[in-house]
Amino acid sequence: MQSRRAGMNVMTPYIYVLPCVLLLGVFVYIPLVANFYYSAYSFSALSPTKEFVGLQNYRTLFTDPVIATAIVNNIWYCLISVAIQVLLALVIASLLEDKLFAKISTVLRTTYFLPVLISMTVVALLFSFVYHPKIGLINAALKFFGMKNPPAWTGDPKTAIFSAIIMSQWHSTGYTTMLFIVAIQGISEDLYEAAEIDGANRLQRFWHITVPQVREMMFVTMVTTVTGAFLVFNDVYILTQGGPGNASTTLAVYMYRNAFNLDKMGYASTIAVIMLIICMALAIIQNTAFRSGKGD
Amino acid sequence: MKKLALALALVLCLTACAVAFADQVTVKFFHRWPNEPKLSYLNGLIAEFEAANPDIKIETDQVLNDSYKEKIRVLVSTDDIPDVFMSWSGSFATNLVKSGRVQTWDDILAADPEFKDSIIESQWPPFQIDGKQYGVPWSMDGKAFFYNKDLFTELGLEVPTTLNGLYELCEALKAAGYEEPISAGFSAPWAVSHYLGTICQRVVDPETLAKDYAGEGDFTDPGYIEALNIFKKLGEYMTKDPNSVDHEFARNAFIFGESPMVYLQLGECKYLRDDIEFDYGFFNFPAVEDGKGDPGQLTGAPEGMMISNVASPEVQEAAIKFVKFVISQHGGYEMTKQTGELSCVKGALDETNLDAKQLEAVDLILKSTEPALWQDNVTDAVIADAFMAGGQLLLTGDKTAEDVMKDVQTAAASIK
Amino acid sequence: MSQAAITKSEAEKTLKIRNKLPEDRMTPGMAVALFFLVIYFLLIAYPLFWLISNSLKTYKEIYKNIWALPANPQWSNYVNAWNRGISRYFLNSVLVTVSTIALTIFAAALGSYALARFRFRGNQLIFMMCMGGMMLSPQVTLIPLYQIIRAMRIHDTYLAMIIPYTAYRIPMMVMLIRSSFLTIPKEMEESASLDGCSDFRIFWQIFLPMSKPILLTCCILIAYYAWNEFLFAIIFINSEKFKTIPTGLMNLRDALQTDWGTLLAGMTISALPLIILFFCMQKHFIRGMTAGAVKG
Repeated sequence: MQSRRAGMNVMTPYIYVLPCVLLLGVFVYIPLVANFYYSAYSFSALSPTKEFVGLQNYRTLFTDPVIATAIVNNIWYCLISVAIQVLLALVIASLLEDKLFAKISTVLRTTYFLPVLISMTVVALLFSFVYHPKIGLINAALKFFGMKNPPAWTGDPKTAIFSAIIMSQWHSTGYTTMLFIVAIQGISEDLYEAAEIDGANRLQRFWHITVPQVREMMFVTMVTTVTGAFLVFNDVYILTQGGPGNASTTLAVYMYRNAFNLDKMGYASTIAVIMLIICMALAIIQNTAFRSGKGD
Repeated sequence: MKKLALALALVLCLTACAVAFADQVTVKFFHRWPNEPKLSYLNGLIAEFEAANPDIKIETDQVLNDSYKEKIRVLVSTDDIPDVFMSWSGSFATNLVKSGRVQTWDDILAADPEFKDSIIESQWPPFQIDGKQYGVPWSMDGKAFFYNKDLFTELGLEVPTTLNGLYELCEALKAAGYEEPISAGFSAPWAVSHYLGTICQRVVDPETLAKDYAGEGDFTDPGYIEALNIFKKLGEYMTKDPNSVDHEFARNAFIFGESPMVYLQLGECKYLRDDIEFDYGFFNFPAVEDGKGDPGQLTGAPEGMMISNVASPEVQEAAIKFVKFVISQHGGYEMTKQTGELSCVKGALDETNLDAKQLEAVDLILKSTEPALWQDNVTDAVIADAFMAGGQLLLTGDKTAEDVMKDVQTAAASIK
Repeated sequence: MSQAAITKSEAEKTLKIRNKLPEDRMTPGMAVALFFLVIYFLLIAYPLFWLISNSLKTYKEIYKNIWALPANPQWSNYVNAWNRGISRYFLNSVLVTVSTIALTIFAAALGSYALARFRFRGNQLIFMMCMGGMMLSPQVTLIPLYQIIRAMRIHDTYLAMIIPYTAYRIPMMVMLIRSSFLTIPKEMEESASLDGCSDFRIFWQIFLPMSKPILLTCCILIAYYAWNEFLFAIIFINSEKFKTIPTGLMNLRDALQTDWGTLLAGMTISALPLIILFFCMQKHFIRGMTAGAVKG
């Protein structure tokens, strides 16, 4: 990072960050503070009065079995998403940037990115047909290979969350792949050439050049993927509504249902606070681990 | 930079243009019919109303179900309540009324008994909360088993009048090669509550049921366990893996002749018109042997309109005028004709705006002793949710009836 | 960054180009990789093809032959979708999306510049604040956000969408742009600084052009978000004249029956502008910008 240059105005960086800070402060942080405040109350969005309950909502949260289910589901979401959208996506990106595949890489990366441009509503609709027990593609294939009783996917409490997770990977892997491609293209060609001349093979080049050079991008994709996994709402809500029962519910789905179906706004705010704390804690851990912005 | 400035200028300019000027009374009407043909029907009716009342302007906003529930909550919580809006009956209406911003109709109806009498009597009570009338019923509905009449005739089967009769019917259909006699799709949990609501109504003592639903009971009546087990038993005759099938798909399986029965809302008759190639009929859920509830009741509830009590008197007066115009013989007739929703205005329905099936459906609603509200409307959402979530897991075998009732009891205790 | 790469002599490079290394030929490992890349391609391409194919079917056909090709393409689905759900809202969507992109990139790039290149009190705090902005669930902010927007008297205007969209996109974009700024070689900035360039000129003439790939990626990601956003658009907008395409597509659905063919057609039309935008920007993802600049 650049230290202060001679003659630089002390205020300059503050002026540069001002628009961001203003917009975030008013439209993100005021609602965030309001959310903390609401979490100490029990109320419906429709009721004119709020009842102060202190930490009662937090106590309820720790004994609520649905919260436990939701957290486990979010953890699965996070683990699988990190494995695929960060690690596998980096491998895919570096393969697409390999000279060997130069001829087909444009077609491939374009196709991989297309799902990212399609709204979740369409994707969930598509997958509801892919998973369909009667006319679905997957079960047709499984039956073809001789499976007698293929799973009910979205309708079975054991598989429902994984149905949603797989769909998310289909939708979003192209997104992180694209980010990694952009990052890899920012790496100086000379580094690779030098390594090649030194006799480094593909794996070594990947490991010793690509991975360290895209470190900042890995940090970004890690943080956004992990955060996304703990905030995931649309994917699950549109595909399964958190069902059957509450088997595939996630924190955000449960929060939404508390706010708008069960009329427990205060409790919904509490869940949002917990989500924020989990994400923030994980982000701080990642920020420390990656030493983002600190150079090599 | 220039482009950016231009874009910003454009935005500001368009924003400025948005400020509307009005020298007439503007009534804000919020509804949940953004889709065709319902939207055209309402817009047509509004145009008629505005032509007849040039001093009133109706400003509409419309969003679909889930979004409607979100938006009405945000609007009410920020004192931005629309002047006229639609409401489901039951707990949705009760919660809206709790906001203290909904106008009662008692005085208005007392001043205009003619309007009160113009609507089918049985549809008023679902909008009464604490003895006061808060909404005006607009459309009515009921839930019934639809069956393939041609197939029943061919196999010599009769419409069942008792639950055991229904079981036997299903067995007979299975024997005739219909592996899934009842088409069902429960991926949206409300479809579960339609079954559970009806079965509970048939089985459980009405007084206990009313008390429990109102949040004053504890759901310990053994009838609930029996009701859930009936649902589980019926599940054996339903579509396999119903939790991953949606309601529309289930209805289509009936329409295209794959399953001979399906539990539908009578308002859905209009969706059957186009593609169905056989004659169909419908029957109310049969009586449960030794059940304590009235088997003559039909599950189903009206939807209605409400007005706000925070609007100025002129706006309120215009709003009332508008509601009376929409829920009139003319408005109701057109609604049913154009959208297939069944109006609950007396005399708005006849053979000119209904087909033969819909006439039968209206007959079934009027013949029933009284409407039994949807379970997910009649009781607190927390309790209804425990029933719906439990019902889904009951069918997959992940929970027993006893487990489900334990969850319901916990839910009931949590809102006391 | 390694200095070795830059000092490699031209001779070595030409040598390398003449002697094609064995690594540039197909190896068994790369053949397996290719196989998986092609499978991944099919997993994306087939469902996309399916979406388009079903957008040309009648309601009955979708139920009866969901995986077959349309027997008699229903182009009228597209006409209906355009007339009923899109035409009226198209310009609004364009306006909101373009404004959101401009505003977000402007604020996020300036902020990122300060965060990546200046050491100042509060740098880490502001960066954490940006990250934290990603971690609040939008569903739970609806009520406080609506109050703010009403207090500012911008509800039911374009600004009620543009400003919250910008605020909620800034965190992600700051992370991405900052990560790209961090990889820009310091030498360039230092030499410009010695030439007497002001901070803003360094930002405008070095950082922005050199981060073109990531900025274009950001444009696409912001466009995707603003184009498909649903929650805020529905709550903050009442008047038909300001509504955007996602609210329009709602006109094609119902709780009990959806005209799938028309809806899919509508969604295809709605995805098209984004796909066109992506194709237009694709060609700027070319390799070698930084390398070229450093090598001079």
